[in-house]
Amino acid sequence: MARSLKKGPYIDYRLDIKVQAMNDSGKKSVIKTWSRRSMISPDFIGHTFAVHNGNKFIPVYVTENMVGHKLGEFSPTRNFRGHIAKKDKGKK
Amino acid sequence: MFSSLYDFFLYMAKQEYFELGAIAKPHGIKGALHAFLDVDDPYEYDELTSVFVQEGHDLVPYFIDDIQIKPNLNLIQFEGIDSVDKAKELVGKKLFLPMSFLPKLKENQFYFHEVIGYQVEDVNLGLLGLVKEIVSLGAQDVLVMMYKEREVLIPLTDEIVPKVNKKDKIVNTVLPEGLLDIYLND
Repeated sequence: MARSLKKGPYIDYRLDIKVQAMNDSGKKSVIKTWSRRSMISPDFIGHTFAVHNGNKFIPVYVTENMVGHKLGEFSPTRNFRGHIAKKDKGKK
Repeated sequence: MFSSLYDFFLYMAKQEYFELGAIAKPHGIKGALHAFLDVDDPYEYDELTSVFVQEGHDLVPYFIDDIQIKPNLNLIQFEGIDSVDKAKELVGKKLFLPMSFLPKLKENQFYFHEVIGYQVEDVNLGLLGLVKEIVSLGAQDVLVMMYKEREVLIPLTDEIVPKVNKKDKIVNTVLPEGLLDIYLND
């Protein structure tokens, strides 16, 4: 069942405070968090979060299309890196 | 690293090829195959006439009768593969092409395998470490750098990695404040 709309999105209180403080001061340093269940709000755009995956912190640079998702979605807990292969991938 | 001289020569031979994808499953009853192409733009390969299939330790050339690239469906019909049973033998095998088939890139573009071993230089912190590998984490790609014998992960976005200097083999970065500390103090 989806979360009730009247409650609004869940964002960890301390995480929200940190983001608001950075937005007010204009600073953009990395925010370390264990709160994988926090939803990404539009205020998070442009910030980099170090999201813990149970083992280490994965840096997540938040862009517009991540809004509405949870932070944990971008920090995989079971990470098979695969074998190093030359691929037609990575054109920036 | 290599169990025999043969393995070493095989490894060297593979350096001349890149991994195009793999055969996923048979399609229909006439030997067509559904291929997964692990590339940025599959449509660049819609006129392929041959491809190398990894069979054991060898790369075997297969000629293509027909190839159809569609969204989420890449069908390949190989010459001589005309039944489901023959097609099933190829399922799961990797496809390779010579490096010369890689599309040419613009000056500011790069392939992930190209930047391995490049020096990372930050605007504020100067020279840091070497690129170990690039890992795809689904939504975003992450550059893995070795710095002070620690693994440091850097998100591969235009804002954080604005430029790659292929001539000097340098990856220019604008690291957000505190990123290195997370890994060094861990």
